[in-house]
Amino acid sequence: MRIGMMLGDVLRALWQRPVTEKYPFERREAPTRLRGKLRWDPEKCTGCGLCGKECPSNAVEVITIDKKNKRFVMRYHMDRCTYCAQCVQNCRFDCIEMSHEDWELAAANKESFTVFYGKDEELDAFLDAVSASDLAETAVS
Amino acid sequence: MMTVAAPTTQKSEKFIVPIGPQHPALKEPGHFEFAVDGEIVTDATVRLGYVHRGIEKGTESRNWAQNLYLLERICGICSHTHAFAYVLGVEQLAEVEAPPRARAIRMVVAELERVHSHFLWLGVGAHEAGFDTLFMYSWRDRETVMDLLESLTGNRVNYSACVLGGVKFDINGEQTKGILEGLDFLEKRTHHYLNVIQQDALFLQRTRGVGVMTQQQARQLGVVGPTARASGVARDLRIDAPGQHYNDFNVNMILETDGDLAARFVVRIRDLFESYRIIREILSNMPEGDLVVKRMPRKIKAGETISRVEAPRGEAFYYIKSNGSEMPERIKVRTPTLCNMASVLTLTVGQHLADVPMILVGIDPCFSCNDRSVTVTQPSGQREHWTWEQVRRFGIEYYQRQGGQ
Repeated sequence: MRIGMMLGDVLRALWQRPVTEKYPFERREAPTRLRGKLRWDPEKCTGCGLCGKECPSNAVEVITIDKKNKRFVMRYHMDRCTYCAQCVQNCRFDCIEMSHEDWELAAANKESFTVFYGKDEELDAFLDAVSASDLAETAVS
Repeated sequence: MMTVAAPTTQKSEKFIVPIGPQHPALKEPGHFEFAVDGEIVTDATVRLGYVHRGIEKGTESRNWAQNLYLLERICGICSHTHAFAYVLGVEQLAEVEAPPRARAIRMVVAELERVHSHFLWLGVGAHEAGFDTLFMYSWRDRETVMDLLESLTGNRVNYSACVLGGVKFDINGEQTKGILEGLDFLEKRTHHYLNVIQQDALFLQRTRGVGVMTQQQARQLGVVGPTARASGVARDLRIDAPGQHYNDFNVNMILETDGDLAARFVVRIRDLFESYRIIREILSNMPEGDLVVKRMPRKIKAGETISRVEAPRGEAFYYIKSNGSEMPERIKVRTPTLCNMASVLTLTVGQHLADVPMILVGIDPCFSCNDRSVTVTQPSGQREHWTWEQVRRFGIEYYQRQGGQ
């Protein structure tokens, strides 16, 4: 039976740097396997849609513009994503990966959580169409 | 689901101390009523169900792969255990077996999770005893294993290590080295903590002889995991029912016979040494091969099965029923806290009210894990169970009354 058995730890800690990191002033590099924001490579995608089919939170949508010519756009909902990487696992063509650099994803407005991926020309055409239909919907309501 | 009849009516002269569901000393919501005579507890009841989230029902409208992530979120501390038990069950139904390397990696993650869970519990236990120095330093050291888990799996909490039919990632040489270095540091610290909890006079005053559960009581109450092993009941699924996962590696039973809080501390700390040994053994004998089976069906054969995994707190039990479609028909989960909760009610009787938090913490309770059904107490005192439809309707009507949507 002794008393003050943790006293040694406390005294030693007086001469050590604090273990707590001063984030965001000090940033530690994230491990390479960290599951951050999703990235999609439109070149390799065949539009099979397996990524979206097993997504637990319906965060990934592959939108087909022209199936024959393999033109696809991806709509990714960052706020719904649970960062489980099931889509990465499902993709047979390695076109999805999760970035270990982009993980500070907080934002003040909701719009910035919806991310569109795709080749520039398809993306422009798709976004024009979306905003046109949005306008039409607002006009109706 | 657990409701024990209230011990008293308003006419009674017993003094009842209600604790929770919102209470600064409870980290999770649960409602306890302790009848006291002076400072001595004479009767105890518990009412659970405040964090019922409808997860079991939710699984019935998601496909087999999506459920993996939903079930993993039942518990934030033993998330891998839930994923592990679920994939084992689904693989049994689909009649596939994960490759040996995948099984080994699942076990490494499960044991690392046990290490982090026991360190977390050591801190919480020390905190409830007012020993905040031990709490702070054990949680500082716990960061070592959290970092290992993060670098290995990509996340600190919901590891998502399992997929149906295997695992997501491999363990490479550099990670093996990192894990071994981390374990060496933790082992040194664990020796120190074992000394502290066995020898520190002030801490022993709070733990030795408090909440004693005899072997016979432990058997009668059906407690599981370290709580049972601290009372000399040899109950560890890694040994009793190794199934598909612990066949390849030998696990030793860690037993203590005193049955008091001190024994529950010692048994968990000694469990840590066993976990370190298992992880080292697996890493040095890692089987070669694939990480995922070649073909995992999207539709699982009709049938029903149970699967069990030794969670850090004891037995996690899964019942899975499939009707041959892409979604399960029924999934039932029983977590170790539910098995152990009855022991709190028995053990607190005759103890000081001040010892109650320690006895509760002694079973390492996890409320959100075990809340599965809603019991409604009417103003008249009558208790009834609600069906899913009733709960749903109540929710809608409640928010309508509040002026919501």
